[in-house]
Amino acid sequence: MAGLLNLSWCATIVAIITLCFVSTRFKSYLAASAVIVNAVLTSLLAIGALNGEIKELIFQGNIFWGDILVRIDGLSAWFILIVNLTSVTGVIYGIGYLKPYVNSAQKLAFHWILFVIFHLSMVWVCMLQHSLAFLVAWEVMSLSSMLLVIFDHDKPKTIKAGINYLVQMHISVTFLTIGFIWVYFQTGSFSFDAFQTYFGANSNVWLFLIFFVGFGIKAGFIPLHSWLPHAHPAAPSHVSGVMSGVIVKLGIYGIFRIISFLKADFLLLGEIVITISVLTGVYGILNAAVHRDFKRMLAYCTIENIGIIGIGIGLGLMGIGNNSAVLYYLGFGGALLHVLNHSLFKSLLFYSAGSVYQQTHTRDMNKLGGLIRQMPKTAVLFLIGAIAIGGLPPFNGFVSEFILYSGLLEGLKFSNISQISLLVVTLGGLSIIGGISVLTFTKTFGTIFLGTERKKLTHQPVEVSSMMLIPQYLIVLVMLSVAFLPQFYLNLISKLLDTFGKTQFVAGSFGLSAYSESITNINLYSILFVAIVAASWGVRALVVKGKSMKIEPTWGCAYVAPNSRMQYTGKSFSKSLGKIFSFLLVEEKKYKELEAGEIFPESRKYVSHYQDFFEYRFINYITHHLVYAANYFKFIQNGRVQSYVWYGIIFMVAIFTLTVLNVLK
Amino acid sequence: MLSLILILIAAAFFTGVIVRVKSMASGRKGPGILQPLFDVFRLFKKGVVYSETTSFVFQIAPTIYFSSVVMAMLVVPFGQSKGILSFDGDFIFFAYILALGKFFSIISAMDTGSSFEGMGASREALYSMFAEPAFFILMGSLALLTGHTNFQEMFSALHIGSYISYALAILGTFVLMMIAMVENSRMPIDDPKTHLELTMVHEVMILDNSGFDLGLILTAGYLKFAIYGALVVNLFIGVFPLQYSIPMFFVIQFVLASGVGFIESFMARFRMSHNAQFIFVLTSVSLLIFFGALLILGKFV
Repeated sequence: MAGLLNLSWCATIVAIITLCFVSTRFKSYLAASAVIVNAVLTSLLAIGALNGEIKELIFQGNIFWGDILVRIDGLSAWFILIVNLTSVTGVIYGIGYLKPYVNSAQKLAFHWILFVIFHLSMVWVCMLQHSLAFLVAWEVMSLSSMLLVIFDHDKPKTIKAGINYLVQMHISVTFLTIGFIWVYFQTGSFSFDAFQTYFGANSNVWLFLIFFVGFGIKAGFIPLHSWLPHAHPAAPSHVSGVMSGVIVKLGIYGIFRIISFLKADFLLLGEIVITISVLTGVYGILNAAVHRDFKRMLAYCTIENIGIIGIGIGLGLMGIGNNSAVLYYLGFGGALLHVLNHSLFKSLLFYSAGSVYQQTHTRDMNKLGGLIRQMPKTAVLFLIGAIAIGGLPPFNGFVSEFILYSGLLEGLKFSNISQISLLVVTLGGLSIIGGISVLTFTKTFGTIFLGTERKKLTHQPVEVSSMMLIPQYLIVLVMLSVAFLPQFYLNLISKLLDTFGKTQFVAGSFGLSAYSESITNINLYSILFVAIVAASWGVRALVVKGKSMKIEPTWGCAYVAPNSRMQYTGKSFSKSLGKIFSFLLVEEKKYKELEAGEIFPESRKYVSHYQDFFEYRFINYITHHLVYAANYFKFIQNGRVQSYVWYGIIFMVAIFTLTVLNVLK
Repeated sequence: MLSLILILIAAAFFTGVIVRVKSMASGRKGPGILQPLFDVFRLFKKGVVYSETTSFVFQIAPTIYFSSVVMAMLVVPFGQSKGILSFDGDFIFFAYILALGKFFSIISAMDTGSSFEGMGASREALYSMFAEPAFFILMGSLALLTGHTNFQEMFSALHIGSYISYALAILGTFVLMMIAMVENSRMPIDDPKTHLELTMVHEVMILDNSGFDLGLILTAGYLKFAIYGALVVNLFIGVFPLQYSIPMFFVIQFVLASGVGFIESFMARFRMSHNAQFIFVLTSVSLLIFFGALLILGKFV
């Protein structure tokens, strides 16, 4: 293990140094090969760990740090493999995506160095089992991703999104630090194993909630989600694909890691998590349905999927609490599989959306239309992602959602009425999420790719290069393998869950696939469906052959001068939904009323866009008041060097006197 | 297998009965009961016209829509006899496969670039989204009541209990029939005979389909009616032997079809802008069923 890790470090350092000097054309290829080398090396370790052999390595530490434990168990391995897959596709896609920037050498060098570091830090986050070292890796990950987000740093909006992200990530780190220090003071150890002792002796609820907030900010549970809709659209698409695909999932990883140490209060925590998750899911998809910026829409959709994953986590916790092995496997198993699935289709969607952005230079879907003719491959890829993310068969999203539904139904066998009611409401919530996501993605796909173009574009879009298409095909392949061979993945997950620290369920060695034939056979039904489609298509081809076929204009309902501006836009498509949920979807309209005396009105503007409910109503309110209060202390930061020196002297004298007087020890 | 044959037979008559009842209610004689089938066969023989704005999506969508309905039909049981496919959680598969069909019918409407068809697509997406939780909570309640999670076991276990379960079955009938109305775009949600594109939902989405594709879409509509009818029948026939249940199947399907016909003859469509709220009310009826199930199980103490 040590050898492979050292090799990966060497590769990284060599790559970083050479990246500074190599000519611009090769920078991206060099970065890609560095990421691939790192990915292969760490995947080798992870695959071994998934098969049951836990890898361990101890760095001898000093007095302050203590020994640093690096361990790859099943859970780490699962996440490492997901991180590696998405980063590799991201870096290959990035080669093509950043081609137009070939003239800005420094920007590119900086970007690719950061990407390599970013990837490695994510892998290390999954491996480190030592609080301080974990925080360092976590911080490196947050900082490097923040710098990746502000690639277009000459745009003020991008910088603003980057700073927003930076601040929120540090609120998250604050919570994590509090949690880790809390454990340290109780047990005297920074090692993750100390959690076992802590949770064995103390109340589980509060510490878990602190970590849930800390990791939840990263993952994007409401009301802590507000960085996602800013950061994802601002970042270059390969970065947003990786961020949405995996960085958000590392928040989920953290929550899973903490759960593996929990000893009590499972029911209460499960109920809390499941409630927040349903609200997160519904809120995320409602917002996704109304936004016109398609990358922002995808960001909200990530929030929705985090909600779905959270439902699985909550179910698993309730399973432990009720001592039900079936629910334990279905809940956590569904959540873990959905983590994989979401990383696949979300990165696919971000990449294909990025291709659209690269060709059209707009993220406003209402300005696009009819792209399926110019970019047919991208359109098909986006369509596949859209069907999969809606959880529709025969793609992979359905497999994980089906497992979660099965878990919800399994939970109905509980005797406690409040749990049953919660699960039935969750069932309804999950189905609403499914319904709205159909609306969201039919709207997005229909508006961007179908119909005719709504606005004349300056450059005629063309299909993107194969460098950008190949990683997307790769993702589709993996997606199909999950959809049609779920047994393989489910076996891995059930092995992983056996070693998850919940020993009471291992004894029966009750795997996920043993639960019911329906889960193991779900791929057969998908195959049958594909066969029915193929058969109907064959019959259709036979019948239609030789019949007349005419191409005519669209039926305009007897109106003879239709134009492309008359098409239904994405905004009008989701307007009724937005109206019904207007208490959550805050619509802001900017326009000037007609004055009383204005007989000949001039041309005027009307702008309407949706605001984030939590950001608009709460977070902005709080920050506004904070700024207001901070104004009173403005005199301290007055810009005079003399005063600053004076502050230093006061501070030192204070420390000195307090020490002398034995107040401070 | 039995359910498949019965559904196919019912599908052949269902729409014909509706049309016949409507004509008789308005004092006309009306076409023969098999006329909808003849219409479809005529369409199958015709050539096609495609809009110049459309892409391949428009051509594959009717096939996928039709296949999804066929796939959904395979999981519907008949009393004690299973459907062709029967597995735990098959009603989830049922709902999701129908959603896939709807996904394609919506994007095929958007493919034409017509504002009217976009309007219909948007409404279809909204209405079916609101109908979804009603179906899932209904099925969840039945799963809670019976302890099973697939159609066939749920329906056959529904009757081994008190007579209150029949009260739940009647509420369930209401929910399922209203969902069928939403799915098939009939009164009181959508008026299939309206002559104004602005107020259409389903009809406007298929304005540009013609020939074989239109035939497939119509056939899928007939099948959907019979499928939901069969689900309603299943709520009642659980333990009866076949010689009673098969006639009951046709009687109930006939009653449902003529009910639809009467509703369409004597009722106006709901206000378009309030349809979504109305459909959402179905969820609360489903919640009533859920509370009924809790009552029967004695969970309220």
